[in-house]
Amino acid sequence: MKKRAMLSRAAAGGVTLALGLTLAACGGSSSGGNGSGTFHVLVYGDATNKVEKQIVDTFNKTSKVKAVLDTIPGADYQQKLQTIINTKQAPDVFFNWGGGSIQPFVKAGLLQPLDGMIAKDPALKSDFLPSVFNGAVIDGKPYGVPMRGTQPVLLFNNAQVLKDAGLTPPKTWDDLLSDVKVLKDKGKTPIALGGGDQWPTLMWFEYLYDRIAGPDLFQKAMSGDKSAWDSPDSRKALSMLKQLVDAGAFGKNFDSVKYTDGGSVALVATGKAGFELMGSWYYSQQQQDHPDFAKSGLGYSTFPTVDGGKGDPQDIAGNTNNYYSVMKKAKNQDAIAQFLKLMYSDEFVKAQMAIGNLPTTTNTEQFLSTSASPAYSQFQYNLVKSAPSFQLSWDQAYPPSAITPIHQAVQEFFDGQLDADGFIKAMQALPTS
Amino acid sequence: MTTTTQRVAGRWTVNRSAGRSSAAVIRPGFAWAVPATLFFVLFAVVPLVLVAVLSFTSWNGLGSPQWTGMANWNALIHDHTMIQSLWLSLLITVLGVVVQTPLSLLLGVWAAGRQRNRAVLSAVYFIPLLLSATAISVLWRALLDPNFGVPAQAHWLFGNGNLLGMQSGAIGVLVFVGAWQYTPFHTLIYQGAARAIPQVLYQAAEMDGAGTIRQFWHITLPQLRNTMITSMILMVVGGLTTFDTVLILTQGGPGTDTTISAYYMYQKAFKGFDFGGGSAIALVLVVIATIISLIVVRVSGYDKMRSSAEGL
Repeated sequence: MKKRAMLSRAAAGGVTLALGLTLAACGGSSSGGNGSGTFHVLVYGDATNKVEKQIVDTFNKTSKVKAVLDTIPGADYQQKLQTIINTKQAPDVFFNWGGGSIQPFVKAGLLQPLDGMIAKDPALKSDFLPSVFNGAVIDGKPYGVPMRGTQPVLLFNNAQVLKDAGLTPPKTWDDLLSDVKVLKDKGKTPIALGGGDQWPTLMWFEYLYDRIAGPDLFQKAMSGDKSAWDSPDSRKALSMLKQLVDAGAFGKNFDSVKYTDGGSVALVATGKAGFELMGSWYYSQQQQDHPDFAKSGLGYSTFPTVDGGKGDPQDIAGNTNNYYSVMKKAKNQDAIAQFLKLMYSDEFVKAQMAIGNLPTTTNTEQFLSTSASPAYSQFQYNLVKSAPSFQLSWDQAYPPSAITPIHQAVQEFFDGQLDADGFIKAMQALPTS
Repeated sequence: MTTTTQRVAGRWTVNRSAGRSSAAVIRPGFAWAVPATLFFVLFAVVPLVLVAVLSFTSWNGLGSPQWTGMANWNALIHDHTMIQSLWLSLLITVLGVVVQTPLSLLLGVWAAGRQRNRAVLSAVYFIPLLLSATAISVLWRALLDPNFGVPAQAHWLFGNGNLLGMQSGAIGVLVFVGAWQYTPFHTLIYQGAARAIPQVLYQAAEMDGAGTIRQFWHITLPQLRNTMITSMILMVVGGLTTFDTVLILTQGGPGTDTTISAYYMYQKAFKGFDFGGGSAIALVLVVIATIISLIVVRVSGYDKMRSSAEGL
């Protein structure tokens, strides 16, 4: 009898302890709740936060409703966002990559379509470059406002290596193939590729598919029509990629090379390779890793055209921009609309340019000369401005569950584990929602 | 509550001093086990049950999980990558044991000697164990870069240096890096155990004319039997839980060539946000780990806790 009493008392003690733990756990997150006169802005934590902080301060100077900036550091952003977005700790406004990164949230009815805000202030749409603004349009409705810099993918080169081989940056695909042959005969790796990271390989697919089939093929596939992958255009793109790989364009050990640990970057900088296809951040990467080379020897050009291709030669691919999206349940929608207006302000553009980002607002043009590398900024800006279509990276256009299968498929196609049929099958098996 | 516990504790003491007959010992009440049990239930059983439930649902972390019955399990059974991942986990574990055991055994026995140079070398050799697995992986990733790392200087050994671009090479690297990191630890275990072997045995063997090699086979090895079992169990556990080296060195690639089960689970749940599918893999891993630990305990006689130093 006594024993049982003791047991239950101990159990009660244990429960209290457990309750205490739970309460303690809750206590830590109460700061995430929505106070009445504030809204929370969640951004990816990195060096650009300096600008976001400045813009929030500017906003708070005049607004009664205050913005609070929260950051999630580093690469875990998407995971952590996913875990909090449907809880009380969810932010009101948050950073994202547009496309597939917000599509599941749209499907779950969590996001506020921005057409209401745009109706009240048309500049929220018209002051941004259309090809970039479209990156966060889902099912015909806008869900995001561009809030950082654009990062189109370019074909970079080592100017000295090209000069020594008597070459110029390739204008057409055939030029590229013949450049590859010349460089290979000279004992160089014609094109550096960080295949170990997988996503650099994907960039070749994005561009070639667009050049050959135009943006429609991918749009069709994304909307669920899987036959697009088995179309003649798709097969043509694959056979051309295969031809490039088989010609030894990337050498034989590209899957052991990474971009993220500086391997492929060094290949180009040290003159062991001629070209590398990479996002526009490549320039600052080279500035950081190989400053002398970045200053004197780094060249860049657009992706070569393909004869007879349906895609516009001015189309580009890459990261359109990052976006602010608004939660449907956010209380201070009007204040948030005022906040978003700052994303096309002169102050915003200047602050972004100062840290090396290239904003995608129409007024950016006036400030291009203030950039640290004006020619490079001008080149990119013109590219993005005149691009009829800006293909969002496939791994960002698809929902997150497709990322790994896409990366695996492109890697396996390049290293010969998958043939065209295998690749087509892998792409057809991707979840589109 | 305080008085009750004291009373129980007191009774236990009294009983013990009263007589040594074990039947008379009143074991401490179950209450003593409550905190541990609660923690176990809270942090092991509850998550396990939740994972089991989740494995029958489709859930991407938003909204509430949708009940899908056996869908995840059906997909898993037909999932080529899953089956391959189990074999890969097994292969990496077995290779780990096969490579590390002889190395650490020999090094451990060698390091058990009392010479000063051995002590210094052992200390140096112990360093990899002090580094984090992540740091080690990053280090080897850079060292094995085909254009700027060791392979670029040693073409005769590495060919074109495409170590991480082919399955055999990538598995080899994973096993090698694992061995580089953990052999020192097992060496330490063997060193300690070898030092505990009574010198009289060696002295007697020497009198009988046994050389160093015979002494090793007939005294050292048999005396280290239990140590070997302990060390191997640790290696099996380490092999099955390999994760960080894969994450940093190969990311499961090329393709899915080094996608071991733990990494596959991570990919599904935390990169693809398919928590249902990820949970199913997790549950498979729990079942397999339980079976393996049961087998190891049974086969090794670990549960009987026999001492190899009996009679001393």
